[in-house]
Amino acid sequence: MKINIEGLLVYFPYDYIYPEQYSYMLELKRTLDAKGHGVLEMPSGTGKTISLLSLIVAYQKAFPLEVTKLIYCSRTVPEIEKVVEELRKLMEFYSKETGESNNFLALALSSRKNLCIHPEVSALRFGKEVDGKCHSLTASYIRAQRHSNADLPACSFYEEFDAVGRQVPLPAGVYNLDDLKDFGRRKGWCPYYLARYSILHANIVVYSYHYLLDPKIADLVSKELSKKSIVVFDEAHNIDNVCIDSMSVNITRRTLDNCHKNVDTLQNTIQKIKETDTAKLKEEYRRLVEGLKEANVARETDVYLANPVLPDEILREAVPGTIRTAEHFVGFLRRFLEYLKSRLRVQHVVQESAPQFLKDIFDKVCIDRKPLRFCAERLQSLLRTLEIADIADFSAVTLISNFATLVSTYSQGFTIIIEPFEDRTPTIANPVLHFSCMDPSIAIKPVFQRFQSVIITSGTLSPLDIYPRILDFRPVTVASFTMTLARTCLCPLIVGRGNDQVALSSKFETREDFAVIRNYGNLLLEMSAIVPDGIVAFFTSYVYMENIVAAWYEQGILENIQRNKLIFIETQDAAETSMALEKYQEACENGRGAILLSVARGKVSEGIDFVHHFGRAVIMFGVPYVYTQSRILKARLEYLRDQFQIRENDFLTFDAMRHAAQCVGRAIRGKTDYGLMIFADKRYARADKRGKLPRWIQEHISDGSLNLTVDETVHLSKHFLRQMAQPFRQEDQLGLSLLTLEQLQSEEMLQKIAQIAHQT
Amino acid sequence: MDDQGCPRCKTTKYRNPSLKLMVNVCGHTLCENCCDTPLRKSNFRVQLFEDPTVDKEVEIRKKVLKIYNKRDFDFSSLREYNDYLEQVEDIVYNLTNNLDVENTKLKMEQYQREHRDLIQKNKATLTREQEELEELLLLEQQGNEQRRLDVLQDEQRQLQAKRKNKQALLDELEQSQLPATILLAQHKVRAAQLETQIEQQKQTVKPTNLFSTGIHMRQTVSLVAVPKVEDVLFHYKPLHVETYGPPVPELEQLSRVGYLNHVRAAMPQDTAGGYTSALACHRAIQDAFSGLFPLKG
Repeated sequence: MKINIEGLLVYFPYDYIYPEQYSYMLELKRTLDAKGHGVLEMPSGTGKTISLLSLIVAYQKAFPLEVTKLIYCSRTVPEIEKVVEELRKLMEFYSKETGESNNFLALALSSRKNLCIHPEVSALRFGKEVDGKCHSLTASYIRAQRHSNADLPACSFYEEFDAVGRQVPLPAGVYNLDDLKDFGRRKGWCPYYLARYSILHANIVVYSYHYLLDPKIADLVSKELSKKSIVVFDEAHNIDNVCIDSMSVNITRRTLDNCHKNVDTLQNTIQKIKETDTAKLKEEYRRLVEGLKEANVARETDVYLANPVLPDEILREAVPGTIRTAEHFVGFLRRFLEYLKSRLRVQHVVQESAPQFLKDIFDKVCIDRKPLRFCAERLQSLLRTLEIADIADFSAVTLISNFATLVSTYSQGFTIIIEPFEDRTPTIANPVLHFSCMDPSIAIKPVFQRFQSVIITSGTLSPLDIYPRILDFRPVTVASFTMTLARTCLCPLIVGRGNDQVALSSKFETREDFAVIRNYGNLLLEMSAIVPDGIVAFFTSYVYMENIVAAWYEQGILENIQRNKLIFIETQDAAETSMALEKYQEACENGRGAILLSVARGKVSEGIDFVHHFGRAVIMFGVPYVYTQSRILKARLEYLRDQFQIRENDFLTFDAMRHAAQCVGRAIRGKTDYGLMIFADKRYARADKRGKLPRWIQEHISDGSLNLTVDETVHLSKHFLRQMAQPFRQEDQLGLSLLTLEQLQSEEMLQKIAQIAHQT
Repeated sequence: MDDQGCPRCKTTKYRNPSLKLMVNVCGHTLCENCCDTPLRKSNFRVQLFEDPTVDKEVEIRKKVLKIYNKRDFDFSSLREYNDYLEQVEDIVYNLTNNLDVENTKLKMEQYQREHRDLIQKNKATLTREQEELEELLLLEQQGNEQRRLDVLQDEQRQLQAKRKNKQALLDELEQSQLPATILLAQHKVRAAQLETQIEQQKQTVKPTNLFSTGIHMRQTVSLVAVPKVEDVLFHYKPLHVETYGPPVPELEQLSRVGYLNHVRAAMPQDTAGGYTSALACHRAIQDAFSGLFPLKG
């Protein structure tokens, strides 16, 4: 259907539209008009992706000069593929409606591992190996050497691409990863480099978060993307953690040992080159004396996306004299390394700020702040000069040099924690230096600064106002959309007590309490008797799950449950988990019914959808607070309190609730779907917890479903399930939660829609 | 006899029959060549690093940096400073790797002699970066201290307020005519209000070690002498204007000579701004008198 959204003609590839989709597009258009950033929350299963795509594509077609590119960031490869498929549908609709062939180029980009078609390289198992091998075949100096020595191995795909691939742009169309590979095979071109080259002129790019947020990757891939782009972060409820992870560095003994080997290799290579080819080192030296001016010019003329690891001051200055020559720099690295080693030889936990660390390093090994700041850049230059083939081997020393640059650049927002052993195993020495970023805004700042519109969206972003605060940006729209429903297909219940009136809670004091564990068991047992097909149960942590399941086994509860349904358990092993998941789905499929025991924050809770009969009920045992004794977390909480005036408790609750919402949201993946959401902890009934759930769940929590016993829960669930079992046709939805074009255009409906967006 | 060898240079009696081993007070043997370096107890240090060469380098570096302590403001351009830094690195590198030791040492001594004053002066000053660091550390310390005090004060205040509230309730129960339930309810409301007040009362106390200009009290101002500008002193000469006319009477003399009789007297409002009729008159006479004589010469 073709919709008019405030004067913009939007092609929508379906015959029906949800009212909230219309409302979502409305808000999105306003954000784009204002050339600002937005935070939008809309429940999963209401067609967020297609709304985003149709509106932005329409916007691009209408104002080709204002918006040149859409950068769509998603989290996993399957999600990326899903987006591309939606896009394909949209593009087909366009060409059917307008009758002209499509001139839009849209493509997905992923790592070499997912795109390589070289028969040997693509057979390797790990991403790092693929990258390293690819680099050893395609690096510029290797190819230069091949001119003199034709026997060296080469990647024919890359050679072919390099020879002709850049002359003709990729023909317009929609390419997912397989399409790219097919195209590459047909032409004999390397799909990875083709994709990387093509994103510069593509209209739509779909790739993973890391290509924008991780400074090391962003510098390679996304540096030159146009300023007039719209960036969308989908499923962005964890975006702050992604930002923090991309800027944090963990250093162990192993890292340092590897680094030591790297430095030795560097030294030997330098020695060798000195004997054979001194001109090369001299050339590098001359360049360093001149300074990093080129990069500076590029950044000032706004060609590049800024890199937070490479601060502006560095670009303006020449490399300090202390690390200008290669030998001196290697000596410098050695000293730094030995210093780190001596720091790791601690007996007790040390926590210090970056300035303290810098002072200490000057006192101990006479390393100034300035050369440290240039360390990452200097190493890159050296590696380039030495023409080292396999960069993958040098990850350790790269890590250390990044650490050096970060620690000397940011005096705030980071903390250094040195732990001699893990908390759980205090007898085994395993020293780790955590250089942990506490401020997610550092990593994402260049993105907000460079691109004209950044949209952060997910099914669970509540409370909405916290994201702009912790990411430090000013959005023009902040909105939460509810799900309009023809029937109440979700039923959140808060179970506070067992049948014997024992309060249910996963809080620390009652964790070992047998009465609580038994009541949790009873709850699961009763539910397994009345809920058809699949049930997913989430625990707060692996340890807690193990304890409870062991206790249930002893009390004979497991045996009783198994009479009703099969039980599968998520473990920390990814292969085991995917096996369990597969079998779980099989059991649901053939009607036996199954229970999946999994963990909040685990793999299942984040990426796996349980549509229809795969998840008829989700039970959340306890409140999934993060492990609060971790020092990194404590430091971060303190920082949040001091810098952003967010209280510790607020943040912890916010974090727990967003994960709980993620877990229970797994069951409802559309309007025809239905499911029970059972929160089994009395703390959920409190206003501060309940208020942090997304609005589309909160709406359905009535006062009557707050502090239930197990019996009452069973009663309500039975009632709900019986209602849901009635036949449900599309006609029932029409006009209420599903609209045709005529219905959409009626005055009354437009008024209703205006109320859907909940502005904060 | 195979095992007799120098632990340092690894020469054995077998390879070098004329090897002579020396023993020091600690009982460790060294060959004749190696024991040239005099060992002193005061020179022994705790080994900080796994790699002893790094220990050695750091030791040498500290010594060298004591002599080569020029700061970036001692140079006119960054380029020169960087060249200097590289030179220092070269010296350290040579000394640690035993390359050209004699020459390097000579060079150092010479440098020390030539730059004695500068070295002495720079000993007292920190580099700018270290200054910044110190400042950051200070700020951090202050922040921590301030936070601790704030928390303490807050707690104190809360405790006091609560105590006061309780006392007030007791007093009221004793004296008031109202029924106890109402009083209790009132007390509850008041207590709730108090809580919210306490929440809001986050007094921000400004740090006291700042001057009003925002400069830190303990900040070390760099002690470089203000550069002297050597120029000829300015000498005042009274202005002389050639008018080519008869001399104009002085401002003070105008009224005495009678010029002012022919000018409009100043109104009282005019005099408020400092105007006198003499001013206008004087200007008019200057105008009239100038250019009356023909050009001389």
